[in-house]
Amino acid sequence: MTEKTRSRFANPWLVLGFEVICVLVYELLQKRGASETAHLSLVWSWTGITALASPVTWLAMSLMIVSLLSWLYVLRYIPLSIAFPLSRVVDILVPLSCWMILGEHISGRRWCGIALVIVGLILTAKPAAQLEEKL
Amino acid sequence: MSWQVFVLIPIALIAFVTGQLFLKRGMESSAVKGFRDKKVLTFLACGISSMTINFLITLGLLAHLDLSFVYPFQGLSVIIISLAAAVILREKLNFRLTVGALLISAGIVLVSLS
Repeated sequence: MTEKTRSRFANPWLVLGFEVICVLVYELLQKRGASETAHLSLVWSWTGITALASPVTWLAMSLMIVSLLSWLYVLRYIPLSIAFPLSRVVDILVPLSCWMILGEHISGRRWCGIALVIVGLILTAKPAAQLEEKL
Repeated sequence: MSWQVFVLIPIALIAFVTGQLFLKRGMESSAVKGFRDKKVLTFLACGISSMTINFLITLGLLAHLDLSFVYPFQGLSVIIISLAAAVILREKLNFRLTVGALLISAGIVLVSLS
C-alpha cells in the first residue's frame, strides 16, 4: 500500500469523481459528434471516420485523454477493488442523463439494473470511507 | 453465433482485466520509485498494450454484433477485477466489497441488455 506517499496535488477521491464526469461528458459528446455527421456519407459513417468532421468529436477525444490520465492518478492511491467498481457509476449516469437530457426511454429492466448498481455502490462506498479515514 | 464470439469475448475481457492490473501495479510503484524506474515503465507499457488489444477486439466484435450483446460482458469485468485484485495484487477484499462488486456487475448487465 502507498498510503504514506499521499499526493500533494489533489485528493484522489475528487480526481475519481472528475474522471467519472469526464467519461460521462465524452460519451455524450461522442454520440452528438457521430450523429451530427452521419449524413456526410452513408457508407463511411459506419466506420466512425465521418465523426472526425465534427469539433465535438475532437473535444470528446481530448476529454478521453484527460480521463485516462486522471484514472492513472487514481490508481496510484486507491485500491483497484474499490476504485474500479466506483468508477462504473458512469454506466448508470449515461442512461440517466440520456433520459433527462435527450428524453430517451428507460425500460423496466434497465431501472432494475440501475437500482442494483446504486445498492452495490453504497456497499462499496462504506469501505472506501473507512479507507479515507486511514489515509 | 459463430465460434469467434466464444473465443474473442473472453480474450477481450482477459485483456481488459490484465490491462487494469498492470496499470495499477505500475502506478502504485511509481508513487514510490518515480516514473524513470524500468519496472514501472514495463508495467505501464504492458498495461497500455493489453488495453489496446481489448480496444481493437471490442471494435471487431462491435462490427459484427449488437452493442447490447457485447456490453453486458464488459459489465462482468467489475467482479472479475475485484477478485483478481484480491488474488494477484493482495488487496483486502471483504464480504461487503465482494457483494457490492457483484451487485454492480449484475446491474450493469441488466442496464446494457436491451
